[in-house]
Amino acid sequence: MNGSILQHLAVTTATDIVRARSVARQEAARIGFGLADQTRLATAVSELARNVLKYATEGSCTIHEDSTPVEMRLHITMEDHGPGIPDITAAMKDGYSTGGGMGAGLPGTRRLVDKFEIESSPGFTRVTISMVRKRQ
Amino acid sequence: MSAKTNIAELSALLEQSRAAIIDEWKRTVMDLVGHKYPGVLSMDELHRHADLKLAAFSAYFASCREGLVTVTKESPLGKMVYDLSSDHDTRGIKPVDTALYLVALKKAISHQLVCAFPDSQEQFVEFLELLHGLMDQLTILSFDAYATTREKVIAQQSQSLMELSTPVIVLWNNVLLLPLVGVIDTIRARQFTERMLEAITRHEGIVTIIDVTGVPVFDTGVARHIMKAVDAAQLLGSRVVMTGISPEGAQTLTKLGISFANVISRVSLRAGVAEALKLVGRRIESIAGAN
Ligand SMILES: Nc1ncnc2c1ncn2[C@@H]1O[C@H](COP(=O)(O)OP(=O)(O)OP(=O)(O)O)[C@@H](O)[C@H]1O
Ligand SMILES: [Mg+2]
Repeated sequence: MNGSILQHLAVTTATDIVRARSVARQEAARIGFGLADQTRLATAVSELARNVLKYATEGSCTIHEDSTPVEMRLHITMEDHGPGIPDITAAMKDGYSTGGGMGAGLPGTRRLVDKFEIESSPGFTRVTISMVRKRQ
Repeated sequence: MSAKTNIAELSALLEQSRAAIIDEWKRTVMDLVGHKYPGVLSMDELHRHADLKLAAFSAYFASCREGLVTVTKESPLGKMVYDLSSDHDTRGIKPVDTALYLVALKKAISHQLVCAFPDSQEQFVEFLELLHGLMDQLTILSFDAYATTREKVIAQQSQSLMELSTPVIVLWNNVLLLPLVGVIDTIRARQFTERMLEAITRHEGIVTIIDVTGVPVFDTGVARHIMKAVDAAQLLGSRVVMTGISPEGAQTLTKLGISFANVISRVSLRAGVAEALKLVGRRIESIAGAN
């Protein structure tokens, strides 16, 4: 990816979830995203970070920007070395949860952002979300 | 010369120069940090501290058979440093100054050793090494002690903050208000649910208003906690009115696919209060004649 890494954060405790999402919100605000987009992004980061903590116990969150003069572009990657997701198609369905949750995290996050990429294998999961807006 | 003899001699030497060391140390500490804490640090107290420390040093060196042993926080010397550090913390003495305290002691001892040992350089160097080995351990321990004290304070504070931050307000007969503010994690969710249920039982709450204006991020985790609270409230026969979801929050919730099916939702606390009163057969009216 071109552009630059804005933040690289550890996700190992519940406090880190709060930090990751408020940092994401701040970065989005600084770049110029509106309040609704900031909220979506913060919520998406919160979902992904909670998954990391719940299913993989620890991981990291990288915030990355490659805006151009015409577009604001923010990407967030959440990565862990937990068990991995055996069936990604199932995990992306509403209501699918192996952890007694609502199963709304991953599919909901996908609807919150413009681009959603997920890859996973045993011992590895990486989700990258992007938000792209034309500058006014 | 073996480590053992060196240590024994160092111990003896400390005893011998005790008065001089204490004197120098007291003066240094007073010079360096005394003025920052007028009335807090007294010469008498420093004297007592130094005396106890040096006694503990001698005892420690006497207990070292084969070279220096690690000072754990359970050992008398380690405990002493812990107590000193937490005592300083409660009295508002800064950790840097506690460190200075120990550094000054190291200096005073080294200096007095020089005076007692004008010619035997080799032994002097060995003594210094032993001494520094010990003092470094103590400095590190004091750092750890400081962090431990701080963590305790923080844990206590967040505990009391948590209790403060989930009030249940009796708004009117049978109408309760629960303003949620801040991050809703599992612990806080459990706490506000407990308080809410208790209040519903005690005040026969027919309607409970949950106001989420102060909740910064409404994700599926928060939603789940609130839904459980709502279910429990309804089991006790209380209706739930939710207020304060922001327009962005509402949009995000629908994207996430979350709906609060059994919950009456109102944009503002004002509208929520009106609705709640209606549910108990009341309403707010202007006084006749007033404008
Ligand atoms: N980082 C991860 N590592 C391993 N498995 C994961 C990870 N993230 C998600 N999963 C799997 O995908 C499933 C769906 O995740 P999703 O976030 O949609 O729901 P949930 O976390 O179970 O519940 P909710 O997020 O609604 O509280 C999870 O139950 C889990 O099995
Ligand atoms: Mg989830």
